[in-house]
Amino acid sequence: MKRMRWLALGTAALTAATLAGCSSSAPADGGTAAKELTVWVMGDSSAHFDALVKPFEDKTGIDVKTVAIPWDSVDQKFTTAVASGDGPDVLQIGLSKLRTYADSGALLTLDDAALSGHENLAASNFVDGVAGDATAIGGKVVSVPWVSDTRVLFYRSDILQAAGISTPPATWDQLRADAKTLAGRGDGSYGYYIPQWDSVLPVIMTWDQGGDIVDSQGKIDFDTPAFGKAVDLYTGLYADKSVPTNSDFDQTQGFITGSTPMLVSGPYLAAAISQSAPELAGKWNVTTVPSGAKDTSLLAGSNLGVWGSTKNKDGALQLLDYLSQPDVQVSWYQSDGQLPTVKKALADSALTGDPMVSVYTKQLASSRLLPLVPNWDGETGKALLDALNSIVLTGANRDDALKTLFTTTAGTPAN
Amino acid sequence: MTRSPRTPGHEAMKNRIVPYTFIAPAMLLLIVFGILPIAVALLVSFTDMNLAGLGNWSRIQFIGGDNYTALFADPDFWQALGNTALFAVVGVPSVIVLSLAIALALNRSQGRFFRALRSFYFVPAITAIVAVALVWGYLYNTQFGLFNYLLSLVGLPPVPWLSDPTVVKFSVGLVAVWRGLGLNVIIFLAALQGVPKEYLEAAAIDGASGLRRIVSIVLPLLRFAIFFVTITTVIAWLQFFDEPFVLTKGGPLGSSTSIALFLYQKGFSSSQFGYASAGSVVLVAIIATITIVQLRLRRSDVDH
Repeated sequence: MKRMRWLALGTAALTAATLAGCSSSAPADGGTAAKELTVWVMGDSSAHFDALVKPFEDKTGIDVKTVAIPWDSVDQKFTTAVASGDGPDVLQIGLSKLRTYADSGALLTLDDAALSGHENLAASNFVDGVAGDATAIGGKVVSVPWVSDTRVLFYRSDILQAAGISTPPATWDQLRADAKTLAGRGDGSYGYYIPQWDSVLPVIMTWDQGGDIVDSQGKIDFDTPAFGKAVDLYTGLYADKSVPTNSDFDQTQGFITGSTPMLVSGPYLAAAISQSAPELAGKWNVTTVPSGAKDTSLLAGSNLGVWGSTKNKDGALQLLDYLSQPDVQVSWYQSDGQLPTVKKALADSALTGDPMVSVYTKQLASSRLLPLVPNWDGETGKALLDALNSIVLTGANRDDALKTLFTTTAGTPAN
Repeated sequence: MTRSPRTPGHEAMKNRIVPYTFIAPAMLLLIVFGILPIAVALLVSFTDMNLAGLGNWSRIQFIGGDNYTALFADPDFWQALGNTALFAVVGVPSVIVLSLAIALALNRSQGRFFRALRSFYFVPAITAIVAVALVWGYLYNTQFGLFNYLLSLVGLPPVPWLSDPTVVKFSVGLVAVWRGLGLNVIIFLAALQGVPKEYLEAAAIDGASGLRRIVSIVLPLLRFAIFFVTITTVIAWLQFFDEPFVLTKGGPLGSSTSIALFLYQKGFSSSQFGYASAGSVVLVAIIATITIVQLRLRRSDVDH
């Protein structure tokens, strides 16, 4: 009996020591906490972000610590933070993750009362599609818009000209025909590029056919004629041999080498092309997405949220307010290439003077959010891609694959 | 145990405690990092725990065996299980045969060149998986990869190394075999040092050929090393994760998803912790069963 007690005592002591070791790492006194903010920035923009918040640090005396979270490990970092309760003060949230994060209950509610006194954060300042209630989850706002992103059609004007195509395709039918023409240039040449990991493109195609993937009850529903047309378009591009089938195809290289002279992507691709192939300037351009019944594109991007248990709520809100200033948003576009979400910033001459940006802003006006489902990347979007890719890559039966998609996604809440 | 006439109880207890104080640290580590996580996973596997539940424990519901029912009806789970079985069936013999062959070859000389070669073979085992993935990703790339370039030199068409649902399994497996060789070569080399030279010399004097000496003397004496390497390699392949995770993310269409990667996707990408825990309990059961079978076979082998 006695030795059991020894063992138990030892275990308890060790556990206590371990726990004490863990908890002591968090700063305990409010004095230093008020002078510090930890911000999670997704992707590799942390150096630019440091420069962006420098004036804020100088003005308020708050030390902003930027932590870059690679896109690949976003889920893992967030999950660990929720489990340990030890998150950052402010974090960037990709819109496709917004509902998951809101559901976790880890984010501070940013309703009008919480935002009062921070005039830059009023919903009316932001692009309508993402502001306020547009990104509320269950009636609760947990984030403010930060950067917007829309998809436009990139095309190589020189290659299209050489193939006798004088203007970029205005409709998806034209695009399919042009892509076929361009693919006929020879071996290793294609007309269009479909990223096999991009679950949004089929949704954009459905919207453009005048349809939606959400039914009147606010549930995901792919079983519509418009989606059927989008599937025909998607699989048709593969059937025409207009798109590469290998999954490791590099979209930037494909565009630069001219192997895939057309694709739908975001402004970040423009930055990548200008950087890695400045000699191509003038040989490529962007235009709004091809239309069907409509010319709707995706309104994506990121919002900013405040961690619920932050010790520096005031500082965090001050930072959000600073980041929503029109001039700060413009300088973020200039340093990192990300489009603003503040209307005044979008109307700034620094942006409107650039013909490409005017295409983006025009497209933004007819863009919409992806349905805010509980887990787009891991569930709904994955099921959509699995269905389409199994048809085009492994020759799976179209009706069977779609039926699987309908049943696995039916009833997913999207409001 | 002999009791001292002076303080019998005290002495006896002291004697009984001593061995436990020696194993206590190891026991504690085993309980905290080995048994406790499995117990927690077992508990979680009967709940619907997700990200919301993680933030607020009151939102966790006990749902009995529902996760297991759903798991066994999930085609993705069976695909991952099938992939893992294929990886293990092809990978384990490849690693053992290749590393044994390399160890035997490296053991032929103690010269400086052979010693350098040993460290060379160990390099893959100590290289970070991200670097490995980056390099192999470029080698395998369909457009600008070295492998397809070499194929084009001899007039062969490009191979979709990581894009074809069948080819990708072997591409990913090849990287894992390459990575797994180093450590096992070192283990076999160490075991080969233990083979008495007298046996080999005596056999040589008796006129036994090199191959004969390996088959009849070296391999039987390496039996325990081979057994050890087999068990650890089988477990490693059943937990196969790194290579498909960094090279293909389990794609295309789940054709390179192993069980461990499936669990990661369900747990961390979909935040279905209850479901992922149920899967991990099944994986533990499979690994435990296979390992116990191997240990049993070994025991009967010793009895002969």
